[in-house]
Amino acid sequence: MSTEAAAGLSPAATRRLILLLILLAWEAAPRLGWVPSLFLPPLSQAVAAVHADRMAYAQNLAVTLGEVAVSMVLACGSGIALGAVIGSVRVLRKPMTSLFSSLYAIPLVILYPLMAAWLGIGPESKIAFASLYGVIPAILASAAGIQSIDPHLAVTARSMGATLRQRLVHVILPAAIPSVLSAVRIGGALAIVGVVVAEMLTSTAGLGFLITSYRTVLDSPRVFGAILCVLAIVLIFDAVVRWLERRTAGWSAAIGRK
Amino acid sequence: MIETARTTRAAGIEVRGVSMRYGNAEAGATLALKDVSLSIAPGSFFVLVGPSGCGKSSLLMMMTGLLQPTSGQILCGGQAMDKPYPDRAGVVFQEANLYPWLTAQKNVEFPLMLKGIPQEERSRRAIEALDLVGLAGFAQRHPHELSGGMKQRVSIARGLVQQPAVLLMDEPFAALDEQTRLTMGDELLRIWERTGQTIVFVTHSLTEAVYLADEIAVMSARPGQLMEIVAVDLPRPRSLEMMGTPEYAGLRNRIWQLIRNPAGPGHEH
Repeated sequence: MSTEAAAGLSPAATRRLILLLILLAWEAAPRLGWVPSLFLPPLSQAVAAVHADRMAYAQNLAVTLGEVAVSMVLACGSGIALGAVIGSVRVLRKPMTSLFSSLYAIPLVILYPLMAAWLGIGPESKIAFASLYGVIPAILASAAGIQSIDPHLAVTARSMGATLRQRLVHVILPAAIPSVLSAVRIGGALAIVGVVVAEMLTSTAGLGFLITSYRTVLDSPRVFGAILCVLAIVLIFDAVVRWLERRTAGWSAAIGRK
Repeated sequence: MIETARTTRAAGIEVRGVSMRYGNAEAGATLALKDVSLSIAPGSFFVLVGPSGCGKSSLLMMMTGLLQPTSGQILCGGQAMDKPYPDRAGVVFQEANLYPWLTAQKNVEFPLMLKGIPQEERSRRAIEALDLVGLAGFAQRHPHELSGGMKQRVSIARGLVQQPAVLLMDEPFAALDEQTRLTMGDELLRIWERTGQTIVFVTHSLTEAVYLADEIAVMSARPGQLMEIVAVDLPRPRSLEMMGTPEYAGLRNRIWQLIRNPAGPGHEH
């Protein structure tokens, strides 16, 4: 914090600088012989590999993106809805949050072979696994957020004559947006992880499949090319969530800064 | 713009034999208020004081219509407060309870928006109300950009924007520091002189009570009962210098004795 202030850099600029240094190190370390290029090929080789095989990468990227999109909708949608119910119904709150917190500790990847057996090795099993993987933290984030809504805000609305519907639309919903977004952030990120991991285990297409199949033939530049594609998905997702937060929940961040 | 002033019709409040019991009878219900009756004159500044747990806030919440008495009745302008009637009674709580995602102006517009009043009229009336509380220049600020005193002013503007017959205030300045609190009291008197509605004000500060009130209802704790209604005959407009006068100290002391020694007013004489 203090060094950053001393250098006169904003957090965003610092973030970019760190990213740039990592990319430079990625390029330099194998070229200077610090790491064998079988373990870490230079960044430029990975980029070149993606460029050379762009059709294959694009097809597999599309498969992964489709699975991620469906998983995110399932994980975040049901997570936010369940979390909202758990967070607002007092008798459910304690038992359900502790249940889901315990479930969260289970390495759910042990269930993937089962899902592959039930649903096949196509997109269905990936979507089922990734949705399950993302839904629990989304439930927890949404429940915690709904609970943190100040009940006085709704009472005040009632004193102003708001009907139940008006209280939901004009008070509870806007107050819930920050927690909904944090549920999306966490559930969405894990849905990406879930899809890629599942593809790496058993599949016939997708970026995870590319990583595994190039790894078995020791084609490091292509492995890292696929990794770059996964990183791109994560970065774009993060940027979209940030943008949504700025658009709809700037007030919440501003309160947090105080 | 200042024509909001005095267009308000003030209304009186009748509290008739109100009791309030929390919890069910078998499991040891708490009697929070016991048979309270009082009458508040239209346009007066009426203050409720008493030790904590005397039910003064419960009584105010029943006047808002948010809470219903176990027995008895509360009338505002002759009509029962069986639910909140925002154009009859505006409410200001201890916390400003502003919506953090809305600007000051949108917060003040909120009750008008609920009623479906067109945007143009909403803005005009919200700006008038903000002007009344001295925040005309802060309409576009969000609550987190305002100080505690300013937030409470916005909340007062929101309570007044429908020009209700009564403004009900539940320890509105209790969360503020002492100095802001005195300034806000002064400000409230100035606003009240312009708008003229009945104000019912709950506080635990006797200094504040005597400074603001026409009449002070002193209540006793558990179960809350009305002990006495003290008339404050200090001249208006009030000024902070009055706090040094013997009349002021005498009134404050008399109420203090009532609260400290609820055996009855007899002992002091």
